[in-house]
Amino acid sequence: MSDDAIRAEAEDLLKNGLQTDVFPRADDQTQIQEIIYQLQNGDGSLKERLVVGGFTLDPVSHEGLEQACETCMYYLVHRRYCELPELDVPVEAEWSCRLWRI
Amino acid sequence: MANLLWLQGGACSGNTMSFLNAEEPSACDLVTDFGINILWHPSLGMELGDNLKGLLQSCISGATPLDIFVFEGSVVNAPDGTGEWNRFAGRPMKDWVRELSDVAQFVVALGDCATYGGIPAMAPNPSASKGMQFLKREHGGFLGTDFAAKSGLPVINIPGCPCHPDWVTQILVAVASGRAGDLTLDEFQRPKTFFSSFTQTGCTRNMHFAYKVSATEFGQRKGCLFYDLGCRGPMTHSPCNRILWNRQSSKTRAGMPCLGCTEPEFPFFDLEPGTLFKTQTVMGVPKDLPTGVDKTGYVKLTGAAKAASPQWAEEDMFVV
Ligand code: SF4
Ligand code: SF4
Ligand code: SF4
Repeated sequence: MSDDAIRAEAEDLLKNGLQTDVFPRADDQTQIQEIIYQLQNGDGSLKERLVVGGFTLDPVSHEGLEQACETCMYYLVHRRYCELPELDVPVEAEWSCRLWRI
Repeated sequence: MANLLWLQGGACSGNTMSFLNAEEPSACDLVTDFGINILWHPSLGMELGDNLKGLLQSCISGATPLDIFVFEGSVVNAPDGTGEWNRFAGRPMKDWVRELSDVAQFVVALGDCATYGGIPAMAPNPSASKGMQFLKREHGGFLGTDFAAKSGLPVINIPGCPCHPDWVTQILVAVASGRAGDLTLDEFQRPKTFFSSFTQTGCTRNMHFAYKVSATEFGQRKGCLFYDLGCRGPMTHSPCNRILWNRQSSKTRAGMPCLGCTEPEFPFFDLEPGTLFKTQTVMGVPKDLPTGVDKTGYVKLTGAAKAASPQWAEEDMFVV
Protein backbone atom coordinates (compact mmCIF):
# COMPACT_ATOMS: atom_id res chain seq x y z
CA MET A 1 0.00 0.00 0.00
CA SER A 2 1.22 3.50 -0.74
CA ASP A 3 2.02 6.01 2.00
CA ASP A 4 -1.02 8.06 0.94
CA ALA A 5 -3.36 5.10 1.23
CA ILE A 6 -2.08 4.12 4.68
CA ARG A 7 -2.23 7.71 5.88
CA ALA A 8 -5.82 7.98 4.66
CA GLU A 9 -6.75 4.74 6.41
CA ALA A 10 -5.20 5.97 9.67
CA GLU A 11 -7.02 9.26 9.37
CA ASP A 12 -10.34 7.49 8.80
CA LEU A 13 -9.85 5.30 11.85
CA LEU A 14 -9.07 8.31 14.05
CA LYS A 15 -11.91 10.42 12.64
CA ASN A 16 -14.37 7.58 13.19
CA GLY A 17 -13.71 7.54 16.90
CA LEU A 18 -10.89 5.04 17.39
CA GLN A 19 -10.02 5.36 21.10
CA THR A 20 -6.25 5.63 21.51
CA ASP A 21 -4.06 5.73 24.63
CA VAL A 22 -3.29 9.45 24.53
CA PHE A 23 -2.23 9.47 28.18
CA PRO A 24 0.00 8.94 30.03
CA ARG A 25 2.57 10.57 27.76
CA ALA A 26 6.01 8.95 27.62
CA ASP A 27 7.69 11.36 30.01
CA ASP A 28 10.58 9.23 31.16
CA GLN A 29 12.63 6.28 30.06
CA THR A 30 10.54 3.69 31.91
CA GLN A 31 7.34 4.88 30.25
CA ILE A 32 9.01 4.96 26.85
CA GLN A 33 10.30 1.41 27.29
CA GLU A 34 6.87 0.17 28.34
CA ILE A 35 5.17 1.58 25.26
CA ILE A 36 7.94 0.39 22.96
CA TYR A 37 7.71 -3.08 24.54
CA GLN A 38 3.97 -3.16 23.91
CA LEU A 39 4.50 -2.18 20.28
CA GLN A 40 7.27 -4.71 19.76
CA ASN A 41 5.14 -7.51 21.16
CA GLY A 42 1.85 -6.65 19.50
CA ASP A 43 0.42 -7.81 16.18
CA GLY A 44 1.93 -4.85 14.32
CA SER A 45 -1.40 -3.85 12.72
CA LEU A 46 -2.01 -0.21 11.85
CA LYS A 47 -4.91 -0.04 14.28
CA GLU A 48 -2.82 -1.34 17.16
CA ARG A 49 0.05 1.05 16.45
CA LEU A 50 -2.39 3.96 16.48
CA VAL A 51 -3.96 2.84 19.77
CA VAL A 52 -0.78 2.00 21.67
CA GLY A 53 1.01 5.07 20.27
CA GLY A 54 -1.85 7.26 21.49
CA PHE A 55 -2.36 8.99 18.14
CA THR A 56 -4.45 12.13 17.77
CA LEU A 57 -5.26 14.23 14.70
CA ASP A 58 -4.27 17.42 16.54
CA PRO A 59 -1.21 18.33 18.57
CA VAL A 60 -1.37 17.56 22.28
CA SER A 61 -0.10 20.25 24.66
CA HIS A 62 1.79 18.67 27.52
CA GLU A 63 3.84 20.35 30.24
CA GLY A 64 4.01 23.57 28.24
CA LEU A 65 5.17 21.95 25.01
CA GLU A 66 3.06 21.42 21.94
CA GLN A 67 3.73 17.87 20.86
CA ALA A 68 3.12 17.66 17.12
CA CYS A 69 4.71 15.30 14.62
CA GLU A 70 5.99 18.40 12.82
CA THR A 71 8.60 19.05 15.53
CA CYS A 72 9.23 15.44 16.53
CA MET A 73 12.63 14.04 15.74
CA TYR A 74 11.15 10.90 14.22
CA TYR A 75 9.22 12.91 11.63
CA LEU A 76 10.45 13.12 8.05
CA VAL A 77 9.20 16.49 6.83
CA HIS A 78 9.21 15.80 3.12
CA ARG A 79 7.87 12.28 3.20
CA ARG A 80 5.39 13.14 6.02
CA TYR A 81 6.41 9.96 7.73
CA CYS A 82 7.14 8.72 11.25
CA GLU A 83 10.45 6.90 11.21
CA LEU A 84 10.33 5.49 14.72
CA PRO A 85 10.94 1.80 13.87
CA GLU A 86 8.11 0.58 16.12
CA LEU A 87 5.56 2.96 14.54
CA ASP A 88 6.87 3.24 10.96
CA VAL A 89 3.79 4.96 9.63
CA PRO A 90 2.83 7.84 7.30
CA VAL A 91 1.47 10.77 9.33
CA GLU A 92 0.55 14.45 8.99
CA ALA A 93 2.49 17.36 10.46
CA GLU A 94 -0.28 18.27 12.91
CA TRP A 95 -0.83 14.75 14.24
CA SER A 96 0.62 13.71 17.54
CA CYS A 97 1.46 10.64 19.58
CA ARG A 98 2.72 10.02 23.09
CA LEU A 99 6.21 8.95 21.98
CA TRP A 100 6.95 12.48 20.73
CA ARG A 101 10.42 13.74 21.44
CA ILE A 102 12.27 16.78 20.25
CA MET B 1 67.78 11.21 24.31
CA ALA B 2 64.75 11.08 26.64
CA ASN B 3 64.28 8.07 28.89
CA LEU B 4 60.70 6.81 29.02
CA LEU B 5 59.30 4.26 31.45
CA TRP B 6 55.78 2.87 31.03
CA LEU B 7 53.93 0.92 33.72
CA GLN B 8 50.39 -0.49 33.94
CA GLY B 9 48.06 -0.56 36.95
CA GLY B 10 44.38 -1.53 36.92
CA ALA B 11 44.21 -1.70 33.14
CA CYS B 12 43.08 -3.76 30.17
CA SER B 13 46.14 -2.88 28.04
CA GLY B 14 43.88 -1.06 25.58
CA ASN B 15 46.09 2.02 25.56
CA THR B 16 49.15 -0.10 24.88
CA MET B 17 47.37 -1.73 21.95
CA SER B 18 46.31 1.67 20.71
CA PHE B 19 49.85 3.07 21.12
CA LEU B 20 51.35 0.22 19.10
CA ASN B 21 49.03 1.20 16.22
CA ALA B 22 50.30 4.77 16.11
CA GLU B 23 51.15 6.06 12.68
CA GLU B 24 52.05 9.73 12.88
CA PRO B 25 54.53 9.23 14.38
CA SER B 26 54.69 5.47 14.94
CA ALA B 27 56.02 3.81 18.08
CA CYS B 28 59.19 2.94 16.11
CA ASP B 29 59.58 6.55 14.92
CA LEU B 30 59.66 7.61 18.56
CA VAL B 31 62.82 5.59 19.02
CA THR B 32 64.54 6.06 15.67
CA ASP B 33 63.64 9.68 14.82
CA PHE B 34 62.72 11.40 18.05
CA GLY B 35 65.34 10.13 20.47
CA ILE B 36 62.99 8.41 22.91
CA ASN B 37 64.67 5.60 24.78
CA ILE B 38 62.04 3.18 26.06
CA LEU B 39 63.57 1.92 29.31
CA TRP B 40 60.75 -0.55 29.87
CA HIS B 41 57.19 -1.17 28.72
CA PRO B 42 54.93 -4.09 29.75
CA SER B 43 54.72 -5.42 26.18
CA LEU B 44 58.13 -4.36 24.89
CA GLY B 45 60.44 -4.49 27.91
CA MET B 46 63.11 -7.22 28.01
CA GLU B 47 63.95 -7.16 31.72
CA LEU B 48 62.27 -9.55 34.12
CA GLY B 49 62.36 -10.19 37.86
CA ASP B 50 65.34 -8.73 39.70
CA ASN B 51 66.67 -7.03 36.59
CA LEU B 52 63.45 -5.08 36.25
CA LYS B 53 63.40 -4.26 39.94
CA GLY B 54 66.97 -3.01 39.63
CA LEU B 55 66.01 -0.81 36.69
CA LEU B 56 63.09 0.74 38.59
CA GLN B 57 65.28 1.33 41.61
CA SER B 58 67.97 2.96 39.53
CA CYS B 59 65.33 5.39 38.20
CA ILE B 60 64.23 6.21 41.74
CA SER B 61 67.79 6.71 42.94
CA GLY B 62 68.54 9.00 40.01
CA ALA B 63 71.28 6.74 38.62
CA THR B 64 69.09 6.42 35.51
CA PRO B 65 67.47 9.77 34.73
CA LEU B 66 63.72 9.37 34.22
CA ASP B 67 62.44 11.93 31.75
CA ILE B 68 58.95 10.61 31.06
CA PHE B 69 56.93 8.32 33.30
CA VAL B 70 53.86 6.99 31.52
CA PHE B 71 51.17 5.29 33.54
CA GLU B 72 48.28 3.31 32.09
CA GLY B 73 45.44 2.00 34.27
CA SER B 74 44.06 3.00 37.62
CA VAL B 75 46.10 3.23 40.81
CA VAL B 76 44.72 0.40 42.96
CA ASN B 77 44.60 1.15 46.69
CA ALA B 78 42.64 -1.84 48.02
CA PRO B 79 42.61 -3.46 50.46
CA ASP B 80 42.55 -0.83 53.17
CA GLY B 81 44.84 1.58 51.39
CA THR B 82 47.68 -0.93 51.07
CA GLY B 83 47.50 -1.45 47.29
CA GLU B 84 48.28 -5.14 47.80
CA TRP B 85 45.68 -6.14 45.21
CA ASN B 86 48.00 -4.87 42.51
CA ARG B 87 51.52 -6.01 43.29
CA PHE B 88 54.34 -5.49 40.81
CA ALA B 89 58.04 -6.25 41.03
CA GLY B 90 57.83 -7.26 44.66
CA ARG B 91 55.67 -4.49 46.13
CA PRO B 92 52.36 -2.66 45.63
CA MET B 93 52.29 -0.89 42.28
CA LYS B 94 51.10 2.29 43.98
CA ASP B 95 54.43 2.56 45.82
CA TRP B 96 56.35 2.42 42.54
CA VAL B 97 53.96 4.99 41.07
CA ARG B 98 54.53 7.44 43.91
CA GLU B 99 58.31 7.17 43.90
CA LEU B 100 58.70 7.20 40.13
CA SER B 101 56.36 10.19 39.79
CA ASP B 102 58.49 12.08 42.31
CA VAL B 103 61.66 11.69 40.25
CA ALA B 104 60.24 12.01 36.72
CA GLN B 105 60.54 15.21 34.70
CA PHE B 106 57.11 14.56 33.18
CA VAL B 107 54.29 12.27 34.24
CA VAL B 108 51.76 11.25 31.59
CA ALA B 109 48.51 9.43 32.46
CA LEU B 110 47.10 7.45 29.55
CA GLY B 111 43.48 6.45 29.16
CA ASP B 112 40.47 7.01 31.42
CA CYS B 113 41.63 4.65 34.18
CA ALA B 114 44.91 6.49 34.71
CA THR B 115 43.38 9.94 34.27
CA TYR B 116 40.11 9.71 36.20
CA GLY B 117 39.90 6.16 37.58
CA GLY B 118 37.78 5.02 34.61
CA ILE B 119 35.83 1.78 34.70
CA PRO B 120 37.64 0.29 37.76
CA ALA B 121 36.63 3.36 39.81
CA MET B 122 32.91 2.98 39.07
CA ALA B 123 30.79 2.72 42.20
CA PRO B 124 31.19 0.77 44.41
CA ASN B 125 34.87 0.85 43.36
CA PRO B 126 35.92 -2.40 45.07
CA SER B 127 39.59 -1.95 44.15
CA ALA B 128 39.62 1.58 45.64
CA SER B 129 40.95 2.78 42.30
CA LYS B 130 41.97 6.36 41.63
CA GLY B 131 43.31 8.22 38.66
CA MET B 132 46.77 9.72 38.95
CA GLN B 133 45.54 13.21 39.80
CA PHE B 134 41.75 12.96 39.54
CA LEU B 135 39.01 10.70 40.79
CA LYS B 136 36.32 11.27 38.20
CA ARG B 137 35.74 15.05 38.34
CA GLU B 138 37.39 15.55 41.68
CA HIS B 139 40.91 16.96 41.60
CA GLY B 140 43.47 15.14 43.74
CA GLY B 141 43.38 11.48 42.80
CA PHE B 142 46.30 9.35 43.93
CA LEU B 143 49.12 11.90 43.75
CA GLY B 144 47.16 14.77 45.30
CA THR B 145 46.20 18.26 44.17
CA ASP B 146 49.64 19.76 44.76
CA PHE B 147 51.61 17.23 42.80
CA ALA B 148 53.87 18.57 40.09
CA ALA B 149 56.52 16.63 38.23
CA LYS B 150 60.11 17.93 38.22
CA SER B 151 59.38 19.99 35.11
CA GLY B 152 56.75 21.87 37.11
CA LEU B 153 53.84 20.46 35.10
CA PRO B 154 51.12 18.43 36.82
CA VAL B 155 50.21 15.02 35.41
CA ILE B 156 49.49 15.39 31.70
CA ASN B 157 46.18 13.60 31.19
CA ILE B 158 45.42 11.94 27.87
CA PRO B 159 41.99 10.37 28.43
CA GLY B 160 40.03 8.04 26.17
CA CYS B 161 38.94 4.44 26.31
CA PRO B 162 41.42 3.93 24.80
CA CYS B 163 43.09 7.15 23.80
CA HIS B 164 43.91 7.66 20.16
CA PRO B 165 47.46 6.52 19.35
CA ASP B 166 48.43 9.80 17.73
CA TRP B 167 47.37 11.82 20.79
CA VAL B 168 49.91 9.78 22.77
CA THR B 169 52.82 9.86 20.36
CA GLN B 170 52.39 13.54 19.51
CA ILE B 171 52.46 14.51 23.17
CA LEU B 172 55.44 12.26 23.85
CA VAL B 173 57.33 13.82 20.94
CA ALA B 174 56.49 17.34 22.16
CA VAL B 175 57.81 16.50 25.60
CA ALA B 176 60.89 14.62 24.37
CA SER B 177 61.83 17.36 21.94
CA GLY B 178 61.75 20.09 24.57
CA ARG B 179 58.46 21.64 23.42
CA ALA B 180 56.50 20.84 26.57
CA GLY B 181 56.40 24.59 27.22
CA ASP B 182 53.99 24.88 24.28
CA LEU B 183 51.50 22.58 25.98
CA THR B 184 48.55 24.22 27.66
CA LEU B 185 46.27 22.06 29.73
CA ASP B 186 42.55 22.43 30.41
CA GLU B 187 40.77 22.08 33.76
CA PHE B 188 41.19 18.30 33.62
CA GLN B 189 44.87 18.65 32.67
CA ARG B 190 44.18 17.51 29.11
CA PRO B 191 46.31 19.09 26.35
CA LYS B 192 44.14 21.83 24.86
CA THR B 193 45.46 21.12 21.41
CA PHE B 194 43.36 17.95 21.39
CA PHE B 195 40.61 18.57 23.90
CA SER B 196 39.24 22.07 23.25
CA SER B 197 36.95 21.08 20.40
CA PHE B 198 34.11 18.58 20.52
CA THR B 199 33.76 15.11 19.04
CA GLN B 200 31.11 16.77 16.92
CA THR B 201 33.69 19.12 15.36
CA GLY B 202 34.21 17.62 11.93
CA CYS B 203 31.50 14.99 12.17
CA THR B 204 30.01 14.26 8.75
CA ARG B 205 26.55 14.23 10.33
CA ASN B 206 26.62 17.86 11.37
CA MET B 207 24.17 18.85 8.64
CA HIS B 208 21.74 16.30 9.99
CA PHE B 209 22.30 17.64 13.47
CA ALA B 210 21.52 21.14 12.19
CA TYR B 211 18.38 20.09 10.35
CA LYS B 212 17.33 17.75 13.11
CA VAL B 213 17.19 14.66 10.99
CA SER B 214 17.68 11.65 13.21
CA ALA B 215 19.32 8.29 12.68
CA THR B 216 17.15 5.63 14.26
CA GLU B 217 19.46 2.62 13.82
CA PHE B 218 23.22 2.04 13.99
CA GLY B 219 25.15 2.41 10.76
CA GLN B 220 22.48 4.34 8.86
CA ARG B 221 23.96 6.47 6.12
CA LYS B 222 22.02 9.53 7.11
CA GLY B 223 20.85 11.22 10.24
CA CYS B 224 22.46 12.48 13.41
CA LEU B 225 22.87 10.12 16.36
CA PHE B 226 22.16 12.74 19.04
CA TYR B 227 18.39 12.69 18.98
CA ASP B 228 17.69 9.02 19.47
CA LEU B 229 20.85 6.94 19.83
CA GLY B 230 22.49 8.74 22.73
CA CYS B 231 25.41 10.38 20.88
CA ARG B 232 27.45 12.53 23.29
CA GLY B 233 29.38 14.24 20.49
CA PRO B 234 28.07 17.74 21.26
CA MET B 235 29.18 17.58 24.91
CA THR B 236 32.39 15.56 24.67
CA HIS B 237 35.80 17.13 24.22
CA SER B 238 37.84 15.06 21.78
CA PRO B 239 39.33 15.43 18.29
CA CYS B 240 37.84 12.12 17.05
CA ASN B 241 36.50 13.73 13.88
CA ARG B 242 39.63 15.81 13.26
CA ILE B 243 42.26 13.13 13.89
CA LEU B 244 40.53 10.11 12.45
CA TRP B 245 40.78 6.59 13.82
CA ASN B 246 42.91 4.30 11.65
CA ARG B 247 43.27 7.47 9.55
CA GLN B 248 39.93 6.45 7.99
CA SER B 249 36.88 7.23 10.01
CA SER B 250 35.36 7.76 13.40
CA LYS B 251 32.66 6.20 15.47
CA THR B 252 30.06 8.79 14.52
CA ARG B 253 31.01 8.81 10.85
CA ALA B 254 30.44 5.06 10.81
CA GLY B 255 27.04 5.45 12.47
CA MET B 256 27.86 4.64 16.09
CA PRO B 257 27.16 7.18 18.83
CA CYS B 258 30.02 8.77 20.75
CA LEU B 259 30.00 7.42 24.30
CA GLY B 260 31.82 10.41 25.75
CA CYS B 261 34.90 8.42 26.68
CA THR B 262 37.21 11.41 27.15
CA GLU B 263 35.08 12.94 29.91
CA PRO B 264 35.51 12.17 33.63
CA GLU B 265 32.00 10.70 34.02
CA PHE B 266 32.59 7.95 31.47
CA PRO B 267 31.18 5.26 31.44
CA PHE B 268 28.17 7.21 32.73
CA PHE B 269 27.06 4.54 35.14
CA ASP B 270 24.19 6.73 36.30
CA LEU B 271 22.39 6.07 33.01
CA GLU B 272 19.18 4.15 33.39
CA PRO B 273 19.44 0.50 32.30
CA GLY B 274 19.01 0.15 28.56
CA THR B 275 19.86 3.77 27.78
CA LEU B 276 23.53 3.57 26.86
CA PHE B 277 22.57 3.85 23.22
CA LYS B 278 19.34 5.73 23.79
CA THR B 279 19.04 9.45 24.25
CA GLN B 280 17.51 10.00 27.68
CA THR B 281 14.63 12.44 27.63
CA VAL B 282 12.55 14.21 30.22
CA MET B 283 9.10 15.15 28.91
CA GLY B 284 10.36 14.52 25.40
CA VAL B 285 13.40 16.84 25.65
CA PRO B 286 16.96 15.40 25.85
CA LYS B 287 18.23 15.29 29.43
CA ASP B 288 21.77 16.24 28.34
CA LEU B 289 21.69 19.12 25.90
CA PRO B 290 24.66 20.24 23.77
CA THR B 291 27.14 22.21 25.89
CA GLY B 292 25.99 25.81 26.34
CA VAL B 293 22.43 25.30 25.03
CA ASP B 294 19.36 25.73 27.28
CA LYS B 295 16.03 23.95 26.98
CA THR B 296 14.02 26.89 25.63
CA GLY B 297 16.64 27.71 23.03
CA TYR B 298 16.91 24.06 22.07
CA VAL B 299 13.17 23.65 21.55
CA LYS B 300 12.90 26.84 19.49
CA LEU B 301 15.93 26.10 17.38
CA THR B 302 15.06 22.51 16.65
CA GLY B 303 11.48 23.36 15.71
CA ALA B 304 12.69 25.99 13.23
CA ALA B 305 15.52 23.85 11.88
CA LYS B 306 13.22 20.92 11.31
CA ALA B 307 10.78 23.07 9.36
CA ALA B 308 13.61 24.28 7.14
CA SER B 309 15.23 20.89 6.53
CA PRO B 310 15.85 20.13 2.85
CA GLN B 311 14.76 16.92 1.20
CA TRP B 312 18.30 15.60 0.70
CA ALA B 313 18.80 15.52 4.46
CA GLU B 314 16.20 12.77 4.66
CA GLU B 315 17.91 10.61 2.07
CA ASP B 316 20.91 8.28 2.42
CA MET B 317 24.28 9.94 2.16
CA PHE B 318 27.75 8.48 1.97
CA VAL B 319 29.05 9.14 5.42
CA VAL B 320 31.99 6.76 5.93
S1 SF4 C 1 6.83 9.50 17.25
FE1 SF4 C 1 6.80 11.63 16.61
S2 SF4 C 1 6.58 11.60 14.38
FE2 SF4 C 1 6.05 9.59 15.18
S3 SF4 C 1 3.85 9.69 15.39
FE3 SF4 C 1 4.72 10.19 17.37
S4 SF4 C 1 4.86 12.42 17.39
FE4 SF4 C 1 4.54 11.78 15.26
S1 SF4 D 1 26.34 12.07 15.13
FE1 SF4 D 1 26.99 12.84 17.16
S2 SF4 D 1 28.88 13.94 16.74
FE2 SF4 D 1 27.88 13.67 14.77
S3 SF4 D 1 26.64 15.51 14.44
FE3 SF4 D 1 25.32 14.03 15.47
S4 SF4 D 1 25.52 14.47 17.66
FE4 SF4 D 1 27.23 15.43 16.61
S1 SF4 E 1 33.94 9.15 19.43
FE1 SF4 E 1 33.52 9.54 21.62
S2 SF4 E 1 33.47 7.49 22.56
FE2 SF4 E 1 34.49 7.29 20.56
S3 SF4 E 1 36.66 7.53 20.99
FE3 SF4 E 1 35.90 9.57 20.47
S4 SF4 E 1 35.36 10.53 22.43
FE4 SF4 E 1 35.56 8.32 22.78
